Amino acid sequence: MSNSILVIGGGFSGLTAAVEAAEMGYQVYLVEKENYMGGRVAQLNKYFPKLCPPTCGLEINFKRVKTNPNITFYSNATVDAVAGSEGNYDVQITVKPKFTTPQCTAACKGKDVATTEVPNEFNFGLDTRKPVYMPHPMSFPYQCVIDPSVVNTDEGKKIQEALPAGHVDFTQTEEKINLNVGAVIVATGWKPYDATKMDRLQYGKFPNIVTNMMIERMASPSGPSEGKIYRPSDKNPPKTVGFVQCAGSRDKDHLPYCSYICCLATLKQITYLREQSPDTEIVVFYIDIRSPGMKYENFYKKVKADPKVTFIKGKVADVKEGSNGNVVLIAEDTIGGGKVEKEVELAVLATGMQPEGALSPITGIEYDTDGFVVPKAGIIPCGCSKRPVDVVSSAQSSTAAALKAAQVINRRAN
Amino acid sequence: MQTQSIQPDLSFIRNVMQSGGDTVKRCYQCATCSVVCPLSTDESPFPRKEMLWTQWGLAGKVAGDVDVWLCHQCGDCTTYCPRDARPGDVLSAIRLNAIRYYAEPKFLADMFSSPMGVIGAVFLGIILVLAVAGVWAALVSHHAFPFPEETPIEFHNFMSVIPIDVLFLSTVVFVLYVLYNGVKNFWMDISAGANLPKSYSGTYPVPPIGTLVTGYIIPAVQEIIAHSRFKKCGQTADRATGHLYLVLSFIILFIVTNFVFIAEDLFHAALHIIGPVTPMPQWHPVKLAANIGGIMLIVGVFMIKGVRDRLTEKGTLKSSDQDWILIWLIFAVGATGLGSEIFRLTQVKQLAYPVYILHLACVWVLFLSLPFSKFGHLVYRSTAYVFEKWAADVKSGKAGFGLEKSVGSEH
Repeated sequence: MSNSILVIGGGFSGLTAAVEAAEMGYQVYLVEKENYMGGRVAQLNKYFPKLCPPTCGLEINFKRVKTNPNITFYSNATVDAVAGSEGNYDVQITVKPKFTTPQCTAACKGKDVATTEVPNEFNFGLDTRKPVYMPHPMSFPYQCVIDPSVVNTDEGKKIQEALPAGHVDFTQTEEKINLNVGAVIVATGWKPYDATKMDRLQYGKFPNIVTNMMIERMASPSGPSEGKIYRPSDKNPPKTVGFVQCAGSRDKDHLPYCSYICCLATLKQITYLREQSPDTEIVVFYIDIRSPGMKYENFYKKVKADPKVTFIKGKVADVKEGSNGNVVLIAEDTIGGGKVEKEVELAVLATGMQPEGALSPITGIEYDTDGFVVPKAGIIPCGCSKRPVDVVSSAQSSTAAALKAAQVINRRAN
Repeated sequence: MQTQSIQPDLSFIRNVMQSGGDTVKRCYQCATCSVVCPLSTDESPFPRKEMLWTQWGLAGKVAGDVDVWLCHQCGDCTTYCPRDARPGDVLSAIRLNAIRYYAEPKFLADMFSSPMGVIGAVFLGIILVLAVAGVWAALVSHHAFPFPEETPIEFHNFMSVIPIDVLFLSTVVFVLYVLYNGVKNFWMDISAGANLPKSYSGTYPVPPIGTLVTGYIIPAVQEIIAHSRFKKCGQTADRATGHLYLVLSFIILFIVTNFVFIAEDLFHAALHIIGPVTPMPQWHPVKLAANIGGIMLIVGVFMIKGVRDRLTEKGTLKSSDQDWILIWLIFAVGATGLGSEIFRLTQVKQLAYPVYILHLACVWVLFLSLPFSKFGHLVYRSTAYVFEKWAADVKSGKAGFGLEKSVGSEH
């Protein structure tokens, strides 16, 4: 029996739920799979519709986590299993080693001596990183990480020698932690849907087809190109860009649901492109533009009024290679009539959200057929583990989840 | 703003949904189908627009849409449809309804669209053949009925070609009349649907018969025999081979039947210019052709059935009652035809005559069902092929209103 709350996932939803519960006085354990908190939001360039950078919300939450004594957080840690019932759950956590100590916050000299380069997962493979690295400039905790693959190798030893004594610790091992909590908040979030699965869209075959999350990294000042959106084949800024909406979403063979954010994400990314270069021509292929609410509708209207932006109602169902590395997007223009072929310098697939539950489910948590968490009295999903939502709705559902977790604990006490 | 009111034809929606297009309302108009379709054109892509028109009950729009007939149910659209709305099957259902729409009287269309109706029609055919043969035997030929005494078995002892012609030629006249009206109305509807220019008196241009044959029908028939569009199908290109066997066997059997009709029925039985032509010896080129045609017919049926079974199981296409009715009716015609020949040659009287009667009944039903059942695609799809070429020429100013005559030919 416990009065504490487990929050699985340290993204925007998990952070919000954790601080809300902790500030009500509950003991909170926050477990994050990555080496850093902040999740998908940390990878964004800007939020829609306000177009402010993600540091806005994240830094406040990081500060609340750091200063609240009720929160114990683990990064690079996974929840292996949840067992028990409302008010009484046994949880097993594995904390993986980072092979560094908290003092290791730069590791510059280690990077200099490291020889291997691996794809940088934070930037979706747009660039590479060394096996000793800071996950991203806004990382929290602000601590470098060493890949397990170099531990005790010659390269690893060189890195250790290059860094100040005590910064690297290859003796670290995996740690198992068993907890007993009263309620579990699931905030495991989402992954961008694997674009290679849509065979007709040719992602992975033509270099100048990227995903919307790759655009976020390119546009981000901390990204691989210091904020410049470029086409991968020649690193030049594109003069024509085509957006492919519903790339995987609303499709029984992929994600049968609407991913909710991709329309606004595209509209937002159009503003990046139009700001970057005033003569960029943009074409958006869509089934329906979904911009729910007044704020989003106004955002859509504003982008639609831009004469350089064309909207074509019709899903891209075929892609060909054009000249000079260009990409030809083919759809039926269901309003104008006839098939249209648009040759663009860069094509962006507006891929949807796949919940983590569809990819790496946790034992003891029930999921629906799409991988979203089925709510139980003491197992409370929030954010995108529950359904596809934007950041605002994630924050709201996380606050609600903290309240529900408190109710579960108090109901049992009475 | 222009206001347009729509009169949904609810019975049209219901009929399409009942004849294999039950998934039509799942469509949300993403138009994936029109892009993945290997047969749809850039100017008038299908089947996305047909899905919408059917959802809205726009029966007139669909009736005037030639594109429905340019679809060969490849199934690529169905495979990639994100909503499982199965556009390939819906268009197949639309075609069945279009055949019914242009056929009069409608009760025959209803009869030939249900398996029990077709079995009933075959029974009716048996009774009709027996009645005509019985009357002929009693009044004219005085052979024993229904098993003539003479050996070896010769089918004209049962019923001469004259009463057969009475039965079949009257059916042919009726079928041609129904088809003529159907095709005429179909042509007008698709002319309107394709937005062809009208004359001063408000009529659509019609090609003169000579130009129609040389400029449009012959190229269309060449295209049909080549099966070039069918072979473009992505998911179901295999179907083309079996279908080609059937088409070729029908052509062969059409030619040999007409040879026998002219030589035996006309020159021998009616005009007495020449002696009896049938039964032909097995080495006779016409007999050889007939046997080859009969075997190709049965082989074609089983090829089509095999591919269709496989594709149905895979989910690429659905098969409606009408699909199977046509397949099995053609099989019955081929099997009874070869069966009566084999039993005749082996002198099994008790089987030869009954199988022959069944053969005549099946051929009669297949003939009669032509304007009313899926078999009608033979006429409407061919018309659509012809029209597509004609409409392209009219739209580009090369034909229509006398333009198809070469310049100077009037001088």
